[in-house]
Amino acid sequence: MTGQTTGMEIELRRSEVRFGSFQAVQPTDLRIAPGEFFSILGPSGCGKTTLLRLLSGFLDPTAGDVLIGGKSMVGTGPSDRPTALIFQNLALFPLMSVLENVAFGLEMRGWSKVRRRARAMELLETVALTEQAGKLPAQLSGGQKQRVAIARALAVEPAVLLLDEPLSALDLKLRQHMRAELKQIQARTGITFVYITHDQGEALTMSDRIAVMNHGRIVQIGTPDEVYDHPDAAFSATFVGEMNVFDGKVAAGADGFARIDTRLGQFRATNPKRLADGATTLMFVRPERMRLLDAAGVAENRLAAVVQRRDLEGAYSTLTLQAQDQVLTVHLQHLGGADQLAGGGDAGF
Amino acid sequence: MSHTGMGSNLVLRIYMALFFAYMFLPLGVMLVAGFSDYSPPSITVWRGGTLRWFSELWADERMWSGLTNSLIIAVAVILLSLPMGLSGALLLSKLGGRAGGVLYAVMVSPLLTPGLIIGISTVIFWRHLGAAAGLVTAILAQSAFIASYAMLMFMARLQRLDNTLQEAALDLGATQAQAFRRITLPFLRPTVVTATVIAFLQSFENYNTTIFSIGGQHTLVTEIGARMRFGMSPMINAIGILFILVTLIGAVIWGVLRQRERKLEDLR
Amino acid sequence: MTRLTRAFGRPLALLILLFASLWILGLIAAPQVIMIEQSLWRMERPEGSAEISVRIDGLYNQLDVLALDRSAVEAEADASIRAQKLDTSDVALAALEAEIAGLEATESTPVKVYTLANFAQMGSAHFAIFLKTIVASLAVTAIALAVCYPIAFAVAKLETPQRAGMIMLALVIPYAINELLRIFAWQMILNYNGPVNALLGLFGVEPIPFLESGTGVFVAMVYAYILFMVFPLYNVLETLDSNQIEAARDLGASSWRIHTRVVIPHARPGIAVGCIMTFMLSAGSYAVPYIMTRGTAAPWFTQLIYNRFFEATNWNVGAAYALSLLVICTLFIFVMMRLLKVSLKDIAK
Repeated sequence: MTGQTTGMEIELRRSEVRFGSFQAVQPTDLRIAPGEFFSILGPSGCGKTTLLRLLSGFLDPTAGDVLIGGKSMVGTGPSDRPTALIFQNLALFPLMSVLENVAFGLEMRGWSKVRRRARAMELLETVALTEQAGKLPAQLSGGQKQRVAIARALAVEPAVLLLDEPLSALDLKLRQHMRAELKQIQARTGITFVYITHDQGEALTMSDRIAVMNHGRIVQIGTPDEVYDHPDAAFSATFVGEMNVFDGKVAAGADGFARIDTRLGQFRATNPKRLADGATTLMFVRPERMRLLDAAGVAENRLAAVVQRRDLEGAYSTLTLQAQDQVLTVHLQHLGGADQLAGGGDAGF
Repeated sequence: MSHTGMGSNLVLRIYMALFFAYMFLPLGVMLVAGFSDYSPPSITVWRGGTLRWFSELWADERMWSGLTNSLIIAVAVILLSLPMGLSGALLLSKLGGRAGGVLYAVMVSPLLTPGLIIGISTVIFWRHLGAAAGLVTAILAQSAFIASYAMLMFMARLQRLDNTLQEAALDLGATQAQAFRRITLPFLRPTVVTATVIAFLQSFENYNTTIFSIGGQHTLVTEIGARMRFGMSPMINAIGILFILVTLIGAVIWGVLRQRERKLEDLR
Repeated sequence: MTRLTRAFGRPLALLILLFASLWILGLIAAPQVIMIEQSLWRMERPEGSAEISVRIDGLYNQLDVLALDRSAVEAEADASIRAQKLDTSDVALAALEAEIAGLEATESTPVKVYTLANFAQMGSAHFAIFLKTIVASLAVTAIALAVCYPIAFAVAKLETPQRAGMIMLALVIPYAINELLRIFAWQMILNYNGPVNALLGLFGVEPIPFLESGTGVFVAMVYAYILFMVFPLYNVLETLDSNQIEAARDLGASSWRIHTRVVIPHARPGIAVGCIMTFMLSAGSYAVPYIMTRGTAAPWFTQLIYNRFFEATNWNVGAAYALSLLVICTLFIFVMMRLLKVSLKDIAK
């Protein structure tokens, strides 16, 4: 048996992809550390799948370079790269048994039948599927198929595992379970994971770092906390989690903080872009960072609004508020017992 | 761009071009020979162009009577094979298990049987009943396998029929016959149209089954076959050119209709 | 029946049953059964006809004796005795003649005898043609498969769906021109004085008698039935998920392995249909050998069947020959289904 593989570093150098006149991926610089769980998060059509195909070798960049483990991969086909890809629809071979599926990569590498079977059984054991070895993929449940796809990809001992939204077909419970499992496998094997998704929950829970992508461009890279709490682009602010957006003008800019004039009054906010006085800007407020206040209380960051409706979501309830012509959303932790919010009231944050 | 390999792609493209040349070469030969003023038909000797073969064809009585017979047979085959094929499909839709499997095998068997055997067996059977071979036996022999095509087409369509529609109609007070007439038949209409076209073409163009089942009568196609044996008139190529023309017109009409259908779908 | 009535109502159910049984029993089953029956009997001189003819000879001898006796009686002087003796002798003669006539009728009236002799009639010459037809049809099938597979794959997997549709429509055009006319065109092309020989002549090659040697039959047959291979293959390859191919390549499969392990297994039903149709049409083709050879080359088995029916008018032998062909075609279907592990349901598109 070959020993434990370790992840490799990935680097994009001014890589871009054009299909005719369509720029699918803008010139991009990116460095993913060995053994990192890296997610690329963006809406469909943002170019994230193209980026993945660039790494897997189904596509070469129109310009720029792609390096894996410090070696340029341009011109190297998918079969010769140290990567393995898990497809969105998994692409299990329907006419081969689970065991044959997992052993396929080893078969292509010329392993003897005995060796590859033994190795495939080992892998099936790690994903708890030894019982299913003789079945066809069609006879498995969604989660089992998922695990076969993972075992099949791991069999070729890749240094980089590329995952193209593999969980999107599963139901919520299973999806949450598989997230944990993926994370575990990544920690155990030390392989670099590049995970493509449009689901912010997946990206936030699993990743070491996230790249938010839009219109073929990476707009922000950071840890999940950074991306969620300190979005430095309007797109990442609104795409990752919910946001209330206010139009405004910087009244007094300073390092770190700024006072912003809006139609609903003046507010104090962080100023990550270090905007100067007088600049028009957008102010974002997370719904869960807002509170309902009594008529008297804190003076700063306060506005008046009327409660329109309340929806109980489970752990929290969502309030829809009307503040002049603006509709606001507030999440309140649900502590049991219907709140006595009939209508009217102040909101603050 | 992609790693499917540009080199092997090019090879495939050249191969495909060659294949197309192979498929269309005989049609080109037909076109040239049909206008060539030289008999026996040839494309190596050219003595100038002529429309002579077309006028000879026009004046040919047996070709005309063959065409009439072909049309009579085709219409009868459509009228016979569509109800039979539909009945078969409906029967199968309500019949599962082993019986359904056996019945299905019997219904598709004519498609897997050489045409001449269908023709021969029909003639033998009807002679036992005292009927001589002729247009009627040709109609029956052709219908035997053309109904199989119709059955497969209807079955494919029926599989996409939402059964709850019928149930809803029954629930609203329709009788089964009414539900069939108002729900199932309209749903099958597009298939009726295509099945009619396919049945017509299969019947009109058929040689193998017809030549063995038509006795002393003839259709346009069996007459063409007979001419190929006795004397080699370039008239045959004139017919070929007419066939090409009709086919091209048919293909264009089909393409236009499909485009219109797509546009209608887009509008919806 | 109850299910049918419940679904369609009594009148409609009866109509459906009527049409279905007309087709299944009247047009498919009964003719086949009668044809099989016809192949199993022939009219023969009755059993023991040799003894009967010996007896007839004996009776003729008696007749001669009686006639001699009678002429002796004519010499009798007594008129009344002579008349009486002549009467008895006439009666005896008449009885004898009647018996002879009866026996002769039995001897020459053939009776229907069930026998396998119709098949045995084939003889070595016809059996050789039978075998030649099968082998040549197998070769046509193999060539058609080899030629069509790359075409179907290229169109289904390498072209855009719109272009693929156009290409397939274009292929329908030669297919819609009548079979006989297309074959006739090949007859002109491969003629002794045709363009192929003219072209070969430019290179100093002596004209080749394509038609007379049987090569023409082969070429035209591949041409006439090749589309029955292209369409089933295309239809089945079109349903192959491209991810399957990419997954195999990603796991290190060469092009050859991708085809043998992924594409061809998926295409099995299409291959089965294409082969069955091509073989059946070739083995059962009357038009191609009829037009291409015009009696100059050794005939195809179908021509023998035609001759039994319409020239030698021995329908029993004809039916036996037709049945032999049917058995071979059925056998081929079963072999293909077994070999490619497909069911009849898979076969009928």
